[in-house]
Amino acid sequence: MMNKKNVAISGNHRRPGLTYWEKSQNLWGWLFIFPTMLGLVILNIWPMLQSFYQTFFRTGDFGRGNIYIGGQNYIQLLKDSEVWQALWNTLKLTLLQVPVSIAIALVLAVLLNRKMRGRAVYRAIFFLPMIAAPAAVAMVWKWLYNSQFGLLNHLFHTKIEWISNPAIAWISIAVIGIWSSIGYNMVLFLAGLQDIPKDYYEAGAIDGATGPAAFFRITLPLLSPMIFFVLVTSVISGLQVFDSIYMIMSKSNPALPKTQTIVYLFYQYSFVNGNKGYGSTIVILLLAVIMLITALQMKLQKKWVFYN
Amino acid sequence: MKTKSILSALLAGALTLTMTACSSSGSSTGTTTTKSADTQATDTGATTATGDESTATSEDSLTPSGSSDALEVLIWDTNQQPGIQEILDEFTEKTGIKTDLQVKSWDSYWTLLEAAAQAGGLPDVMWMHSNVSQMYMKNGLLLKLDDYIADSTEIDLSNYMSEITDLYTYDGATYGIPKDYDTIALWYNKTMFDAAGLSYPDATWTWDDLYENAKKLTKSDGSQYGFTLSPSNNQAGYYNVIYSMGGKVLSDDKKTSAYDDPTTIEAMELVGKIVADTCPDVTTMSETGDDVLFESGTVAMTTQGSWMVPAFKSNEYVAENCDVAVLPYAASTKTRASICNGLGWTASATSERPDDCWTLLEWLGSKDMQLKQAELGVTMSAYLNTSDAWAQNTDLFNLQAYLDVTTEQTGDATNELILRPYTYKTTVWEDAANQAFVSAWTDTSQMESVCKSVAQEMNTAISQENS
Repeated sequence: MMNKKNVAISGNHRRPGLTYWEKSQNLWGWLFIFPTMLGLVILNIWPMLQSFYQTFFRTGDFGRGNIYIGGQNYIQLLKDSEVWQALWNTLKLTLLQVPVSIAIALVLAVLLNRKMRGRAVYRAIFFLPMIAAPAAVAMVWKWLYNSQFGLLNHLFHTKIEWISNPAIAWISIAVIGIWSSIGYNMVLFLAGLQDIPKDYYEAGAIDGATGPAAFFRITLPLLSPMIFFVLVTSVISGLQVFDSIYMIMSKSNPALPKTQTIVYLFYQYSFVNGNKGYGSTIVILLLAVIMLITALQMKLQKKWVFYN
Repeated sequence: MKTKSILSALLAGALTLTMTACSSSGSSTGTTTTKSADTQATDTGATTATGDESTATSEDSLTPSGSSDALEVLIWDTNQQPGIQEILDEFTEKTGIKTDLQVKSWDSYWTLLEAAAQAGGLPDVMWMHSNVSQMYMKNGLLLKLDDYIADSTEIDLSNYMSEITDLYTYDGATYGIPKDYDTIALWYNKTMFDAAGLSYPDATWTWDDLYENAKKLTKSDGSQYGFTLSPSNNQAGYYNVIYSMGGKVLSDDKKTSAYDDPTTIEAMELVGKIVADTCPDVTTMSETGDDVLFESGTVAMTTQGSWMVPAFKSNEYVAENCDVAVLPYAASTKTRASICNGLGWTASATSERPDDCWTLLEWLGSKDMQLKQAELGVTMSAYLNTSDAWAQNTDLFNLQAYLDVTTEQTGDATNELILRPYTYKTTVWEDAANQAFVSAWTDTSQMESVCKSVAQEMNTAISQENS
């Protein structure tokens, strides 16, 4: 997030007639962000352009002998119901995962912001999922969910097909996402909460705002910039879910068509079927969707985010 | 403000795009089930198995764990790892050339290999599979072996099963030394047969017998099923039914699909009947692999490839309760067909030490080591007349069942070995077929229409191959 800000703001610095001091500041500024910029260009921007370039080709074996086919990949994309289903799956997953995760993380953060016994322990426990490798997390959940031998069905004495019933598999996947992101979001909210001066609450208490009223009238508005940040980043990462699908859903899983995400589909085309041209086209679609949603959020933030 | 937000949106999106072009690194994951890799030692189905212990393998890149002067050897089957390691250790002792054996899961093996090929960094020595061998040979990625073979006293290609040698020959040039071959047989749970008072499967069994017995072994409360056959179990599963009944998966010229062939559809209808009446739900089979369902005593029978023997041998439950019999035959044709396939040992064309690579290939293909591979029970060897040694690697099971299908006739039926169907890019249409059959497995009355749509999809895929 930092480097993005730097790049975005740096454009405003070029004003005519800079003083010596300003020039020196300018130079040092650029010098400091240079390593990040370099990484961004080499690792992000150049591959991005290459991906875009690839969408106009039918890529050959091992990236050799690419054939230019114009917009054919895009035409195929528009007609490909599998892609649109995957896009809908991805959006559905994000719509469930992000609000629930944010709500739970927010409540936890508020609870753990008080003085209480074992506060550090609780904070550590909730943050733990963030430390585990996503693939390992998915693996463990896969075992928990297994309809034959899984712990969940064993505990509840049920026979629910958590990950192979098309109607509920996507919810099971979302639960993993929620579980893994709560800790991270909670820590961000805690940081946000600690920035809120106590005076507001004291003043509020005098006017009779305590408990829920204080939460909705003081905490929420003052935390809104942080909520906005978490929202934007969660939505973006939600739209890029791959690990859990890849690790949990087998190719013969009846629920796969209703749960596979755009990134999973892109992976299948690009790296399993060796069709990098079409794979890139799929990911361009995702790029467009993410840009659209993010731009929309940027616009809507004026309505609910309060900057002091 | 406006430009700023648009720019941030752009950049946020840009992060997604980066994923395409950075090839292998972005795609791999940290851990995999070894179990699922085993299941598909030579089968290409989907990742299925669960409930077993998993081993963490580094999937990100080829990182030599040994010294840098070791030859990198890459394989995909953890079941075979101990035996192969033993053979490699002996090689190092004899020649002083060090090796570094690495195992990846079946799925990540091919992802990794393709990325490595594109970057020009294939491992020195690796397994090759008929699914994609044509593509690797055509693109000149594998070391051409003809000159080495001509000068060698150890390797004479006429000593190996010609079908396997052919798989690793392209335009008259040889790129691989045959490693092994595999056949399919029917595993059954003796304890369950005894409890039901049924006699064990034998050479007199037809597919209808399998159906009848499996039905009797299926309990209505879902605690036990007669058979298991996941939609992705093609090589060890329904391919055998199709070919024994005289059907086909692929036309002889490998140009068109044969899933719309009436005999093939008839065979798949029978498969559908077996699935509907004697197997667990497709949901269950997709979560838990056929082999694991068998190992856990959930199902009474399963058809499995000979590459599964090391896994079953080391499973206490199977060792105690189960045995193996020859595949059933088709009553209509009096033919028993087993799909057969074999891997090849190949070397990278860009290896810095081609001569050392060859020394290793020569070692792995030599009569002594092929015999050793069989004796250790790693797999049946491609070297002719070594299979008896393999059949004796354990007395827990009647492994002769895997060899019977390689003879002319067993019982009333003629035996046929069918080479696993492959084209230039087998994986593409095979994956598509596996996924499509899920709906036919869910509702078996749709089998015919699914077969026909699979045929169409397969024809499109084959026509787009760059061969």
